[in-house]
Amino acid sequence: MHVTKDRGNPRSSYVLALKSCILWQERRKTALMTDDSDNPMGLPLRSQKNVPSSKRGEPVDDDLLLRRVSQKDSSALTKLFDTYGGMVYSVALRVLHDAARAEDLLQEVFFQLWRKPESFVSGRGSLGGWLLVVTRNRAIDILRRKRPTESVDDNLLASAESLASEVEREAMMQQVRRALVGLPAEQRHILELAYFEGLSHTEIAERTGQPLGTVKTRMRSGLMSLRKALQA
Amino acid sequence: MNGGVHIAQEDLALYGMGNLQGEELARVRTHLQSCAACQEELSTLAADLSLLGLGAEAHPVPAHARARLLESVQDEMEPAAVSQVHPITSLSTTGRRRTAWIPWVIAAGLAVGATGLGVKVNTMQQQLQERSRMLAQSQQEAMRSREEAARSERVLALLKAPQAQRATLTAAKTPAEPTGHAIYLAERGELIFQGSHLKSLPEDKAYELWVIPQNGAPIPAGVFRPDRSGDASVVMPPLPTGVPAKVFAITVERAEGVAKPEGPIVLSGVPMPGA
Repeated sequence: MHVTKDRGNPRSSYVLALKSCILWQERRKTALMTDDSDNPMGLPLRSQKNVPSSKRGEPVDDDLLLRRVSQKDSSALTKLFDTYGGMVYSVALRVLHDAARAEDLLQEVFFQLWRKPESFVSGRGSLGGWLLVVTRNRAIDILRRKRPTESVDDNLLASAESLASEVEREAMMQQVRRALVGLPAEQRHILELAYFEGLSHTEIAERTGQPLGTVKTRMRSGLMSLRKALQA
Repeated sequence: MNGGVHIAQEDLALYGMGNLQGEELARVRTHLQSCAACQEELSTLAADLSLLGLGAEAHPVPAHARARLLESVQDEMEPAAVSQVHPITSLSTTGRRRTAWIPWVIAAGLAVGATGLGVKVNTMQQQLQERSRMLAQSQQEAMRSREEAARSERVLALLKAPQAQRATLTAAKTPAEPTGHAIYLAERGELIFQGSHLKSLPEDKAYELWVIPQNGAPIPAGVFRPDRSGDASVVMPPLPTGVPAKVFAITVERAEGVAKPEGPIVLSGVPMPGA
């Protein structure tokens, strides 16, 4: 079984195992589509991602799809929508608790991607991670009836984890959920209030009835545990 | 660096999420401008926090959302199309003005050509109608595919939803026992498993699902831990194709999973005949 580490930031062996499954699935897809002459060295498909011209001329990675979006190719946008739409909608719904408003935000996020694909800067994370942050920030703005967050979107940073395939998203989803479930309930609650409701320390203290110092300590502990769980 | 005093991690996190306001926001922003260490910490925190959205319960996209997006995109593109058409209209007007002074012989020639063009236009109109009909048919087929895909997504989301209510129906007065349900299509190597009433495990342990073929070693089919209510699911683990299962089994293994079963079998089941 092949296990490929994308970066020098190893995740848990559980996720590595799932990622190896991704490679296995990708290789299975490749086997269905191509003969061995496409991949004589048996390289993982990831190594071939940046080959400029495929025999089928069918670019599939996010960078190529974004390039096509910038050339006003609507089929590239729908591919990105099919990949990330569910994730974007789920975050919007979790923050807004309103299906109609969540769908409006889903439309807004992808329409903005259509109009300004250059807003995404690949050096600042993966497209999936970036969409999660854009959606969450905009949903919080809507929730708090604020204008779009000033300047944050221009500088936002996101995880570099690829979420481009269903298996990658599923693996990361499970890892995040396990990380959250592993936190003490108070720490998890504080992180959720900050992330999904956009509350500050003072607001969290008011909401939970905990002293401000306790809120800060618990948030710090929660952040450290989260990091440990995501990078273990 | 900034005099050795750094912004607390929790403040940086709130800054990264855009949750700070007023003086606090200004303080953090000013500090970040001159502190590489805090900038670095903010990057790491932002990367971790960006993934928290994946903790949200998964919902399928509403069925009509894709078409709505495409409509918006088409609407946006249309004004550009109109502006491209406009100069052509102007050109034809100019052309008419020119006919006022060109020799009548050329005008007559153009009239003959126009008859031929009329025939061609008719043919093109027929082709256009045929293509419109084919397009409408394709759109209907695409709509059907999208509806089927949306339904499949809903089924998958239901199976995976942690908040879905699950019940195993048993004879009255029978205490709830750990159970598992596996649906496996050997020819495609696809499997969905759902477990209920599973006992919680120590941190360093996890359940592992196995597909045990008629011949050969057990095939690992996913490592999982149940949630607080004892529910768990494994959806589409990577499996080889064309290997029918003689038995499905679940063992307790190390948290990271193992390649060959080592721990005790806690659940097992033989597939029902006839599939």
